[in-house]
Amino acid sequence: MMRQLAILFSVLVLSAARADINIDIIIEDGMSFARPVAVVPFNYSGVSGKPPHDMSAIIAADLRRSGRFNPMPFNEMPELPTSYEQVSIEQWKAKGIEAVVVGSVEEVTPGQFSVKYQLIDVFKPQQRVEGGELVSNSDFLLLNNTGSAGTQNFRFYSHQVADNIYEALTGVKGAFATRVAYVTVDRSKSRPFQLYIADSDGHNAESLYTSEEAIMSPTWSPDGKAIAYVSFENGRSEIYLQQIYTGQRTMIAAFPGINSAPVFSPDGRKLALTLSKDGNAEIYILDLTTRQYRRLTNTGPNVIDTEPEFSPDGQWILFTSDRGLRPQIYRVSVRGGRPERVTFEGEYNASAAYTPDGKSIILVNRTNGVYHIAKQDIETGTMQILTDTLLDESPSLAPNGTMVIYATIHNGRQVLAQVSTDGRFKVRLPAKQGEVKAPAWSPFLIQ
Amino acid sequence: MSIKGLGKSILVTLPALFLFACSGSDTGTGPETTDSTETQTTTTPVDTKTPEELAAEANAKVREVRTVYFEFDDSTVKSEYQDLLKAHAWFLSRNPGVQIVVEGHCDERGTPEYNLALGERRGNSVRDILMSYGVTSSQIRVVSYGEENPANPAHNEMAWEKNRRAVLNYEG
Repeated sequence: MMRQLAILFSVLVLSAARADINIDIIIEDGMSFARPVAVVPFNYSGVSGKPPHDMSAIIAADLRRSGRFNPMPFNEMPELPTSYEQVSIEQWKAKGIEAVVVGSVEEVTPGQFSVKYQLIDVFKPQQRVEGGELVSNSDFLLLNNTGSAGTQNFRFYSHQVADNIYEALTGVKGAFATRVAYVTVDRSKSRPFQLYIADSDGHNAESLYTSEEAIMSPTWSPDGKAIAYVSFENGRSEIYLQQIYTGQRTMIAAFPGINSAPVFSPDGRKLALTLSKDGNAEIYILDLTTRQYRRLTNTGPNVIDTEPEFSPDGQWILFTSDRGLRPQIYRVSVRGGRPERVTFEGEYNASAAYTPDGKSIILVNRTNGVYHIAKQDIETGTMQILTDTLLDESPSLAPNGTMVIYATIHNGRQVLAQVSTDGRFKVRLPAKQGEVKAPAWSPFLIQ
Repeated sequence: MSIKGLGKSILVTLPALFLFACSGSDTGTGPETTDSTETQTTTTPVDTKTPEELAAEANAKVREVRTVYFEFDDSTVKSEYQDLLKAHAWFLSRNPGVQIVVEGHCDERGTPEYNLALGERRGNSVRDILMSYGVTSSQIRVVSYGEENPANPAHNEMAWEKNRRAVLNYEG
């Protein structure tokens, strides 16, 4: 309990100290399932007094935020090795630690750093018997890597190291070297609406667009270079595409009626979206090369079809439709045809997306008037409620399928929150000022 | 609430005014007409406006109410708003050059994209009623804001009640 409080406190203090983040990270639940590991502070040598960032602290925070690991506090460490040869495995084993990360950072030229790090599995032997003799064994060394980073990408590189460690320990690709887009609303400002992107740990928040009018539904291009979103700057919903690095902004769709719910196909060549130009909200596919529209759904004047999402193989589109009186999830081939219904539980199911392995869908479910993020197994049809927050909306999956970020109401404010896809680990992410909504997790990023 | 009440009472008197204007009879207050020998023989009401002007005035008063509220998850216009929409339609059909935008809104519950479409459905319901009373479709544009522009940004039932609405905005 005290350790959990200490972790909570240190996380809060860490986020308050940075000026570049506008979201706090508050771990709600789930630390009891986390595996104890240790990320020993990396050694540093160089002309600058210190490295651009504390790499081991970034790694430890990432691992903690995944909900699967509980990094040991620095002051409890029995020793401070900086390379694997210096590690006395028995000391760590005695403390209940399962894996140890050690490393060093060296500034080879000003602003350029060489990084070495190793991941040790304390349960694997360091020696084995071969031909009647004890020989050294490197099974315990799960990772032994060198790399380089500059001042500019030092944080990103730290997240990549964390991804490698996560994958070595879980078999699942890490998603720390990713970003999240979101919309903040501060009604005390003359331009209350802002579209932000930030690192997955909340750092490096940058405003992409500020507006007097509402912004909705940001969505990432598969190459991570652009975001499409809905803007009301001209007094109604229109879709824009904004390049992150060049700032170039183009209007994509501004038909009469609704222009909304944009989502890219996995190959980045198409955009599915909702238009009501032909009488009611329907789903269309826009070919980004030819700029041709193809209508995908065709229902009567009072039916709403919206919230399209591509399957991981790009062959199917999940969407929300109230053709059966209440909103439910349907699936239709990307080539068109008759949609089939996917959800049958609860009064209302909306905003669905496949997990990357295609085996489940994450969605918003309403049962007895309460809106929760839920997961439905495709094969069995079983639905599991993941959250205990109320009024949940806008779920977005991490690209490795382990975590869902979404918007919800807490203490009378709209905040972001995260829940692991097994429902065990919960985090709350309130904005420092105003309200936050419409989160969108980036794809895996290459830099 | 008071504006609604005012609208109702004006509505009640509106047909009465029509009645009055059409019959061309006295103000019911008494035999004043016998005294006004300098004026024309047809008796005039105390107010010097024409019946048409009075009707327009009364109608304008009713049309000060611009908002129609909806039940949760619903886009049907409740019967209590029929007279209000009739009054707006009365004006619009007599002024074919006037355009209105019907805004559709939702409370924040549910997903923002579904609510954007639900808001449009609410706006369409109001538009359809106006058209059934003779307004041409070219005069009406429906714009949905979904849950994005609440009248009351608080996160409770009281606020949600005020946010489930369609608003008639006269342009120009």
